[in-house]
Amino acid sequence: MQLKIENLHKSFQEKEVLKGIDFTFEEGKIYGLLGRNGSGKTTFFNCLNHDIPFEEGTFTLVDQKENRPLELEDIGYVLSTPNVPEFLTAREFLKFFLDIHQDKIKEEKSIDEYFEFMHIEKEDRDKLLKDYSYGMKNKMQMLVNMIADPNVLLLDEPLTSLDVVVAEEMKQVLKSMKKNHILIFSTHIMELALSLCDEIVLLHQGTLKEIDRSHMSDQELRDKILEALTE
Amino acid sequence: MIKTWIQSFQIKNAYRVNTFIYSLKQLPLIGKVFKNALYGNTALKILGTFYSIIVELISTFLGKFLYLFFLIYLILPMYPSSDGSYFVHLLLFLTGAGALLNTYLFNPTKDKYYAMFTLKMDAKKYTLSDYYDRMLKVVIGFMPFTCLFGILSQVPVWICILLPFYVAAFKILVNVYFLEKYKRTGIVTDENHPVKGVWLWILFFLIFAYGLPYVQIVLPLSFSVLFLLLVVIGGIWGIFYLQKYSKYREIYKIILTNDNMNLAAYQTKNMEKKTVQKGIDVNTKIVSHKTGYAYFNELFVKRHSRILSKSAIKITWVMIGIFFFLTVFTLSFPVWKERINSILLVMLPYFVFIMYCINRGQEVCKAMFMNCDHSMLTYGFYRKPKVLLNLFKERLKSVILINLLPAFTLALGLVFLLYITGGTTQFLDYPILFFSILAMSIFFSVHHLVLYYLLQPYNQESETKSATYGIANGATYLFCYYMLKIRIPIFTFGCCTILFSILYCLISLFLVYRYAPKTFHLKN
Repeated sequence: MQLKIENLHKSFQEKEVLKGIDFTFEEGKIYGLLGRNGSGKTTFFNCLNHDIPFEEGTFTLVDQKENRPLELEDIGYVLSTPNVPEFLTAREFLKFFLDIHQDKIKEEKSIDEYFEFMHIEKEDRDKLLKDYSYGMKNKMQMLVNMIADPNVLLLDEPLTSLDVVVAEEMKQVLKSMKKNHILIFSTHIMELALSLCDEIVLLHQGTLKEIDRSHMSDQELRDKILEALTE
Repeated sequence: MIKTWIQSFQIKNAYRVNTFIYSLKQLPLIGKVFKNALYGNTALKILGTFYSIIVELISTFLGKFLYLFFLIYLILPMYPSSDGSYFVHLLLFLTGAGALLNTYLFNPTKDKYYAMFTLKMDAKKYTLSDYYDRMLKVVIGFMPFTCLFGILSQVPVWICILLPFYVAAFKILVNVYFLEKYKRTGIVTDENHPVKGVWLWILFFLIFAYGLPYVQIVLPLSFSVLFLLLVVIGGIWGIFYLQKYSKYREIYKIILTNDNMNLAAYQTKNMEKKTVQKGIDVNTKIVSHKTGYAYFNELFVKRHSRILSKSAIKITWVMIGIFFFLTVFTLSFPVWKERINSILLVMLPYFVFIMYCINRGQEVCKAMFMNCDHSMLTYGFYRKPKVLLNLFKERLKSVILINLLPAFTLALGLVFLLYITGGTTQFLDYPILFFSILAMSIFFSVHHLVLYYLLQPYNQESETKSATYGIANGATYLFCYYMLKIRIPIFTFGCCTILFSILYCLISLFLVYRYAPKTFHLKN
């Protein structure tokens, strides 16, 4: 499976943020999306997630069987600020989610099995989400996206504010998910991108550029990325 | 200090001018023509400055005019006698309440935060230059109207001229008291969170202002004048006190950075969000035995009962109380029967405004966004037409049901009141009256929810980003307000209301099903 982006243009009034992006993402890989502040990483994700209109461009999911436009249900979007319905408990949120996706979830597990997988403790499962910590909310957001099993998972700096233990747990979850999925991971932290991601993609001056990291030490790669981003 | 005053004026002016340009950009259709570069456009900046001056003039004069006109001048004819002493008596006590409610010095505002903490201006110089500016506007703003309404109320001219100085001096003395209180006890006054004692004083001032003249106890003019002079002298002393006082920065450090003013909760939108979030019932024993969308919606409604059903029940009890009172009153004083009956027969349009006021639709939609859709709309599955419309159906049912309880009580009460005050010659008036009230309730429930789904006005930061939504809500209010003036027989207006409501609901539901999947997303 591939996600093919062709000629994506997006402007905010007179400022053109995305200038005709052409890129192909492949399944089984985590892509680290690096870019400077204001380079348009979130805008790029918002376009993919059908959140904002754009002037031009197509997103195609290329499969062995068929080529088809990228649909809303193909995408999961994990935001840097976790968003969960705060009036529900974690169990209620998951129950609602499973209820309405009954016919689509392939190997449905019990609610507690999902909690176990995401390392959510028993005493926290029946607490209101409004009382959850930032990291716990993040886990819930990730869990729901994981159960939905989207073909493409967009991650907008999801590990930035997590403590080291939760961040490590989440990294393992992401690595376990990459098979059969396309994961695009936006971050400011180069170390994180280098340690977690299989490919590094730069969003700079409105276009996407892949950095070939083969035959390169980490230091050489860092220098190359910095050089490319300051051009 | 003059330099500080100029700087603070520049900050306020820049803020107003940019707000003016931002408002232009938010206008539907026209807004898209304006580009960001406009913020640097000199001609528009000058236009914005004119706008700023107009706002300044309005805030200086209009408020004072309305205050003196509505709260004093219009009230005077209600008292048995209304010589000059009544006017002075009312203003003398109302100033006490006003000074406590509006200290200005202890009001945590954005301008103060920007000036003292972001731009690191000298706190004392900034506070005093800003405060003197405000007090000067109090004197200038009151002067023409204390003279106008004072002379019309037979107050000697020299007292009319003295009154604005009295108002400013009283305000200064109240602030001196609060500043001294902080110095002695460390307790800071926050204008937005008055303590119980302050409310008691306000009540005391209001009772003395309006209550005493009602029983013909009014301060003699000579005593009032003596008091005015003493306060003015006290105010002059107060200015010296303000000049010597040194703890302004300490005080603002507390009121500008406490819970209501830290940067995260700095803007009103976040304050509002926090308030709505507090509405969540933390009782996890509240459960639902339904599934899917109905399960989700039922938990939302039950966990928000404080702002939804409980609020509707409270309104219902108030209505029962009013109808009980009116029934007893009508039976005790039969002479009023005919009057009440004639009012009821033509006052149905009046209830459009009442139904608008008691309908919980707008608050419900706000809670729906802040506590639910704000987070759920970031999930792709939640925006699928099927999910969206199924949930819309569940919500519509709940909102209609919640609002029907007070509507049913009002409808029944009105029919009963009509009957006991002599009834009507047209028997159909009873069912029409009853069903038109229910139709109004359903109309408002549908209207608020449909507007919310079609114009979803909020963005990720919970800011309202749709001027169209504001205009639509404003137009609804104006329409309902206009209805207060209409007098039409029950049968005619009731039939029109029922028909209009049915048509409106059908059309708007069609629009939601057709367009909401495209419109119901977070604004950017």
